[in-house]
Parts: sequence; C-alpha cells; structure tokens
Amino acid sequence: MRWGGALAAMLVLQSIALAAVFWVLANGSHRRSIEHALADDCTFFALTPGEERPEELREKLTRDIHRDRFLGLFDAQGRLIAGNVGRLPPSVPPGASFVADVAPTELPGKRSDQARITVCAMPDGTRLLAGVDLDDTEEALRLVWRSLLLGLAPGLAMALIFGLVAGRRAARQVDTVRQLTERIIAGDLGERLPVAARPDSFGLLCADINAMLDRLQQLVGEVRGVGDDIAHQIRTPLTRLRARLDRGLRDARTPGDFAAVSDSALADVDVLLGIVGALLRLRELGDHARRSRFAPVELAQLIDDACDLYRPIAEDRGLTLTCAIAPVPVIEGDASLLMEAVTNMIDNAIKYGPPRGVIRVSLGMAGEAIGVSVADEGEGVPPAERPLVTQRFYRARSDVAGVGLGLSLVKAVADLHGAQLRFADQGSAVSLIWPLRTEAPRSA
Amino acid sequence: MAVTHILLIEDDDGTADEILLELATAGHAATRTATLRDGDPLARGGDIDLMILDRQLPDGEGLALLADLRRDGVRTPALVLSALGSLDDRVRGLKAGGDDYLAKPFALVELVARVEALLRRPNDTRDTRLIAGPIDLDLLAGRGMRAGRPLELLPRELKLLEYLVRRQGRIVTRSMLLQDVWGYSFEPNSNVVDVHMGRLRRKVDIDGEAQLIRNVRGQGYVFDLPA
Repeated sequence: MRWGGALAAMLVLQSIALAAVFWVLANGSHRRSIEHALADDCTFFALTPGEERPEELREKLTRDIHRDRFLGLFDAQGRLIAGNVGRLPPSVPPGASFVADVAPTELPGKRSDQARITVCAMPDGTRLLAGVDLDDTEEALRLVWRSLLLGLAPGLAMALIFGLVAGRRAARQVDTVRQLTERIIAGDLGERLPVAARPDSFGLLCADINAMLDRLQQLVGEVRGVGDDIAHQIRTPLTRLRARLDRGLRDARTPGDFAAVSDSALADVDVLLGIVGALLRLRELGDHARRSRFAPVELAQLIDDACDLYRPIAEDRGLTLTCAIAPVPVIEGDASLLMEAVTNMIDNAIKYGPPRGVIRVSLGMAGEAIGVSVADEGEGVPPAERPLVTQRFYRARSDVAGVGLGLSLVKAVADLHGAQLRFADQGSAVSLIWPLRTEAPRSA
Repeated sequence: MAVTHILLIEDDDGTADEILLELATAGHAATRTATLRDGDPLARGGDIDLMILDRQLPDGEGLALLADLRRDGVRTPALVLSALGSLDDRVRGLKAGGDDYLAKPFALVELVARVEALLRRPNDTRDTRLIAGPIDLDLLAGRGMRAGRPLELLPRELKLLEYLVRRQGRIVTRSMLLQDVWGYSFEPNSNVVDVHMGRLRRKVDIDGEAQLIRNVRGQGYVFDLPA
C-alpha cells in the first residue's frame, strides 16, 4: 500500500511538473514574440522622419486587419497627434513592456482594453505608444491551460492507478519471499520460490535464491551426514566401554581385577579420543592457512625415518619392510604431517597385506614428479571402493582393527601439500605424487 | 626431593581439579587461578618453579601473558595447554616463550611426565660418555655396555637409551620419545614406539639381570637403578 502510494505520488508530481514547464514555456514564448514586435515598431518609427510619422502610423493601423494593434503618437505634453489610443498610461514602469489598460478610440463599444504595451521616445521629443491587444492571447493561453488540465486529469488518474497496481504487485512479490524465509527460519529448507518460464529481474532473483537454498540444503545434508557418522562411530566404543565397566564393577574382586578393567577401559577411551583427535585434525587440515608454516623437508630423510620406525613392528608380524630411496628435490611442507601420512600408508599395508609378505616403500622421481609409494603383495583397494576409501569412517574390511580415518587423513595431508593420492591400476601400491613446480612456467 | 611449587592457570574447574590431584599425587604443591589477572602477580612472585598455562582464558590469551612475562625477564619454565590441538599452535606456543606444549585432550600422566621433564632438565647434554650404574654409553663411538657386556645397539636404540638414562627415575611417555628421539610430533596408529622399546629392553635387561627399564602401565617407560 505504501509502495503504491509513493509510486502514484511520484507519477502525479511528474505530470504536474511537466504541465507547469509547458505552461511557463508557452507563456514566455508568447510574451517574447509580442515584445519583439513592439521593439520593431519603436525602431521603425524612430527611423521615420518626423513629418511622415503620423501618415505611416495611420497606414500601419489600416493594414492591421486583426485590429489587435494599438499605436499612438503623443506630443511632449501628452496630447494625441495620431493613432487609435486616447491617452498615455499615467506611469511607465521600467522594462521592455508592461500590461496596462488603454483607451481605444476606434473600437466600437469599447472604452478600455487590456494590452501589453511599451512607450518609446522619438528623436524629436514626441512619444510613441505601441501595444498589442491581449484578448486573443488570453484566449489562446486559456485554451492551453484547459488542454493541460484535460490532459493532466486522466494522467493523474492513470498514475495513481498504475502506482497502486505496480506497488501491490511488488509488495506481493516481496511478501512471497518473506513468507518463504519465515518458513526457512522455522526449519523447512525444502521450500522454493515460483519462477516464471521467462523471468523478469525479480524472477531471476527468485531463481538465485532457489539456487542458494539448493546449495544450503546440500551442505546441511552433508553436515548432518558427518554428524550422524561421528555419533554412530563413537556410540560403538562407548557402548563397549559401558559394558566393560558394568561387568567390571559386578565381577571384579581383587585389585588386580580392577586394574585390568580400568586398563581395558582406558584403551577404549584412547580409541575414542583417537577418533575425536583425527576428526579435529582433518578439519584443521582443511584450513589451508597451515601452509604458512611450511618449511623445507628432505623426503629422503623422512622416508628413511618412517622405515626405521616401522621396520621392527613389521618384522614382529612376520613381514619384510624394504625401502628404496632415490634422491629427490627438497619440497616445502610440514614434516610431522607428512610423516603421519606416510606411516598411515605403511600401517594400511601392514594391516591389509598378506601374511609373511613384503612391504615396499619407495621414494623417487616418476617422470617429472616426485613419488612416494607404499605397496604390499595383496590385491590393494578394489577399484570400485577407491572413491570411497578417502571418505571419513569408510572401512574396506571390518575384520581389521581401525576406525576408517587413515586414508581420509592421508588425502587431507596430500591436498594440503599440493600432492595427489593415487592408487596403482594393478596391485596395491598407494602413492603420493608431487608434480614439480618448475614444469609449470615453461615459457620462463 | 624438594617440594616444587607449580602455578596452574586454567579456567575449567573439572580439568583444573584433575590436574591438581595428579600433581599432588606426584608430590608437587600447586596453586590454581582461573584468570590471567589473578595469575599474573603469582607468576611474577618468584616462588614459582613452573607454570602450566591454558591458552583460552576468560580474560584473554594465555600466550599473551607468557610473552609479557618473558619480556619482563621472568624465566620460570612454562607448559602451555590448549584445546586448539594443532601443530601451528604448538609452534606459536613455543615462540611465545613456552617450554613445552600439550594439546587437549591429554593424558594426565603425559602432563606430569612433561612437568617433571621441565623441572629437571638434563643438565649437560653435551656429555659424550654417560655412566649410570652398570650402564656405560660412549655416544661418540656409538657403543653401549652393561657391566662390561657389549649391548649391540642400533643407532636409534642407543639414542633411546641415552634419552632414558638422562632422565633417570622419571617417566618418559611414548609421545615424548617420538617427538624427541625421532623428531616428529604425531600420534601413530600402531604401537611402534613400544616395539622399539621392547627390543631395547631385551638387549639391556637379559635374563638374570636386574630390570633397569620398566614399562609403567598406561603411562610410558622409566629407566631406574635398583635401590
């Protein structure tokens, strides 16, 4: 309603302004043309020799077939010498012309008439009054005014109606959006705004809002999914922990029994903390600001340390861990994170590889790239599961211990370091590949 | 053992109570404040041997206080705690003048082990010959002996033993070993450190000898001479 009123008021104001401008211009232009004619008369009679002036004047009046001209030649005492005006006006205001009543001598039945006149001095001391009857002019201006009013009234009405209608429509559209946002605030993300087949700019805005809602709904879905995953993953060890403590309280008799219960409870808690810690680290790795503290890393040293750290545990499980390390350029990175990623890959090989097998860790150049690869003698991740294994909590085999965050973490560390996580087409090799930066600007 | 006095600045009551209990069990007297404003004068008081400082406190950032103290010449060792469990924060914590950094959640034994490590830092790490009871380590030659018996240690095992011997009688945790002996700070998925320690123990303590390296259940390892 307010919209409509404002719009109507604006249109009305515009119409009135237009009419006013037209009126002022028409009026002004008419006055200028009269003044021009009066000035011409003054000049003409001033140039005419004194003795011929009355004759010329009578001549001019005879030629005025519209009978709307006033001319009068007066001597220094103000007595009429020749013309159709009885007397001079009592006072002469300054300016090019003025409006005054004159006394026509040749118009039948008219003693006084309104005219725009001027009085100019002739070289011989006589004075000339020149004027134009305003009756016709007034008539013409009245006509203009009437036509303006006639045009203005329907214009105003139309402006009001259009303003109200357009305002109503805009208000209705805004109301639709507002009602939708209210429903969204109330929790319903499924609602969408109607969009016409050929949308105007408001329709395009609605389409954008719909697209934004699609994205929002998708993100909320993902967050809910991750939340559900976390809840589910944590519930299992929590349930086990609860059962263990319950049974311990019921059955344990000796301090040794209690110690055993609390030991296993602590182990369960550690698993839980491990899950929470890994999730926090994954989130943290997604935040690339961490790159700011990258330092040069010697991958050869790092892989050597990883092998040194894992060789005993591999041997204890009857596995052989071999390391082939070729010199590679120094990279920028975070040594602890890279170590964590590489040891996760080795952990997977130990867990999923066949018994008494060989685990091969290698570092070297693969064409133009640095490659770190870990392979066991097993089948590796089945190709169908490869897109899944880097998702949180995905576990390829439930018969192996773990919480399913290892490869997500490897992937996150790789992303942070600009490396790619690749699975070999054949066999079990998992690699981190660093494309060397020097190959990018070839033109340099 | 002289009683040490520890200042704990931690706003969470539950966490603070646990830490205070654990410190008391380990024989340390501790004072706790919940805000930087209350902790500041105590930290400058001079009778504090070590401070444990949380990062996010109601009246500001613990590291800011630490940086202030260090600028004013207060050299009391500081262990920084944080719920922001990132290595970034670790680096910032150490830069601000922290001597060690623990990310929450941490095991209380880890906290106490690190507190004790800070209270009694190894005095001369440049010694190339270490003798502790029957153990005789020649770090320059990379050899170790126990009562005249050569220990046949791999280089990493020698470093592990050196680390333990220098911290005689104190618990060292797995993450301390990983961080200080290998130089990486992360939580491995497997018990890799235990496997290394198992091998070292089998070389150092053979049948019939007194056990010098003990596994403290759920906590870590201690090198100790028999009483």
